Amino acid sequence: MALFDVSGFNSDLRAWILPSTQVPVLDRANNYSFGSKFQEFAVPPGVDPSGFLESCSSDGGVRIEMDHGTTTLAFKFRHGVIVAVDSRASSGRYISSTYYDKVIEINPYLLGTMSGSAADCMYWERLLAKECRLYRLRNNQRISVAAASKLLCNMMLGYRGMGLSVGSMICGWDKEGPGLYYVDENGTRLSGRMFSTGSGNSYAYGVMDSGYREDLTVEEAYDLGCRAIAHATHRDAYSGGVVNMYHMQKDGWIKVCKQDVSELLHRYRKEKLRV
Amino acid sequence: MALQDICNFQTIFEDNRRTEYPAVPHGKRIASNYVSGLPFSSSTNLFYFYIPVAEYLDQSPIQFGQISTVQSSSAISSEDSFLTSSSLPTCLPFASSQSVPLPFPMAHGTTTLAFMFQGGVMAAADTRSSCSGLVACPASQKILPIHSHLVGLTSGTSADCALWKRILARELRLYQLRYGRRLSTRGAAKLLSHMLHPFKGTELCVAATLCGWDGGEADDGEAGPGGHGETTKSQMTEQKNFADSPSEKVSLAEAQSFPFSQQCFSKKKINLSGPDLFYVCSDGTRLQGMLFSVGSGSPYAYSILDQGVHWGLEVDEATSIAREAVYRATYRDAYSGNCTDIFHITSKGWTRRNREDLKEEYYREKERRRRERRKRQDVTLSE
Repeated sequence: MALFDVSGFNSDLRAWILPSTQVPVLDRANNYSFGSKFQEFAVPPGVDPSGFLESCSSDGGVRIEMDHGTTTLAFKFRHGVIVAVDSRASSGRYISSTYYDKVIEINPYLLGTMSGSAADCMYWERLLAKECRLYRLRNNQRISVAAASKLLCNMMLGYRGMGLSVGSMICGWDKEGPGLYYVDENGTRLSGRMFSTGSGNSYAYGVMDSGYREDLTVEEAYDLGCRAIAHATHRDAYSGGVVNMYHMQKDGWIKVCKQDVSELLHRYRKEKLRV
Repeated sequence: MALQDICNFQTIFEDNRRTEYPAVPHGKRIASNYVSGLPFSSSTNLFYFYIPVAEYLDQSPIQFGQISTVQSSSAISSEDSFLTSSSLPTCLPFASSQSVPLPFPMAHGTTTLAFMFQGGVMAAADTRSSCSGLVACPASQKILPIHSHLVGLTSGTSADCALWKRILARELRLYQLRYGRRLSTRGAAKLLSHMLHPFKGTELCVAATLCGWDGGEADDGEAGPGGHGETTKSQMTEQKNFADSPSEKVSLAEAQSFPFSQQCFSKKKINLSGPDLFYVCSDGTRLQGMLFSVGSGSPYAYSILDQGVHWGLEVDEATSIAREAVYRATYRDAYSGNCTDIFHITSKGWTRRNREDLKEEYYREKERRRRERRKRQDVTLSE
């Protein structure tokens, strides 16, 4: 199907082979018109998700809480981008998984983190991965981090107000150097040096701000990421499990470690007392 | 006011017989114990103070969609303050059930923190008072000394906190005048918690952290259970100037029912003097702990404190950790900022550092980062 589109197969033959409801070649979705002509999936007529959700956000009445129950962080420094996430998946008060992978490896030089609704993040970031792959095939060059985050942002805007819950950070290394973008279900897209998302983000920010310097060494940066996640899981009920850490370098990302949070916290306490 | 209170105890004793104590959970209240001085003996004065407020709830000049009820006016028709104090339980529920809508959403916009270590208690707070997005006062004081060895950190509504701190200070001073020693931090926390209990369910919002140093006075560590009873009465057993048979019976019963309690009590005796830290909230929470941080900036401060605080800190290390925690909270939280106050409570009382403007710290950090970046550029250029 994708090869059909990419190779510009003869449209007459195409119409003959494929069912007539298929999209003609010239109107096919490409990276410039993704989402603008046809939504990824259409909202059934007569259903108004955004209206329904507005009625579910009143204080004191029925209220659907769209909290991002996790802690993820990423920061840029001299030697690339560090991405660190926890691994707890919760449904309300129940911990559904202790070892949930919240980083999606889009391609060897792009990573996306997930916070918010696990289903939404998983689906939309896999869709983003598909689009990035198509871009690479069509244009014979890698997609930039800015463009990838813009694609995700436009996907979110297409369904704005309809109850998506995605708080994602797109990290990569492209021609301009290391790139870090934060994309939200509201359509927020911010470029920055340091982000942390999720319910534990404030705890992580305290540690990260305190220890961050532009010229951190690689080991110090790994330690800072681990510490920030560990202390956030210590105080936040919705974060826990293990710290999954990735390091985005010039020639791609490497997975640094997968360390249990309680072991980290015990180690930090011992160090504190020894000093 | 305090002297009058003490001298006129006979008239108040009469009042005690007639009035009931409304929603306050009083525990073992025994009439003959008045001579020892119930902690709430002065609480009738307390309720005299609040009755006009209950009346104003119906006649507030600021209309927030209040429903003027016919029922409550009949309840407060009597001019007699004794009767009104006994009818107070019916008044207060009205106040909460009318559910006056707030003019704007309230939040605890502050950062306050306190922790215990070997050198005492360190307390720090920012100085920004905000009012729905506006900085109402950039130089407010959130750490209020209650007496020479007790300091209260306030969070919540500033008006409520200031008032309740003064009420607590008055009660503690009365206690000190009556019994010749200061009430412990634990007792003060319990007292504040019980005083706030009648207002549970109303829009009163007080989240106070009490930091103090107990003991170090004359009749310390005498026989008897210390700090174990439900009210401060148990600590009165150390004083020998009243007939205390009911309390003694209580203590004996406790000793018999729990065989290991003797060890508990003796341990408590040793720990009677020293630093102590309590968190009291108007929703009824009362917690003892080694480390507390309250307010919208508290998550940012918590992670810094968790990293660095342990019992064996030196005073200057503790000060720098407290300062860093408040600075990081003001860095990220919009409702905290401006300056920081740091208090240190030891056996000799509280001492206060000069108020420090965090703007300077922010510029210093920015300058430091700029210098590092310049150094890095020089290094890369030379390579």
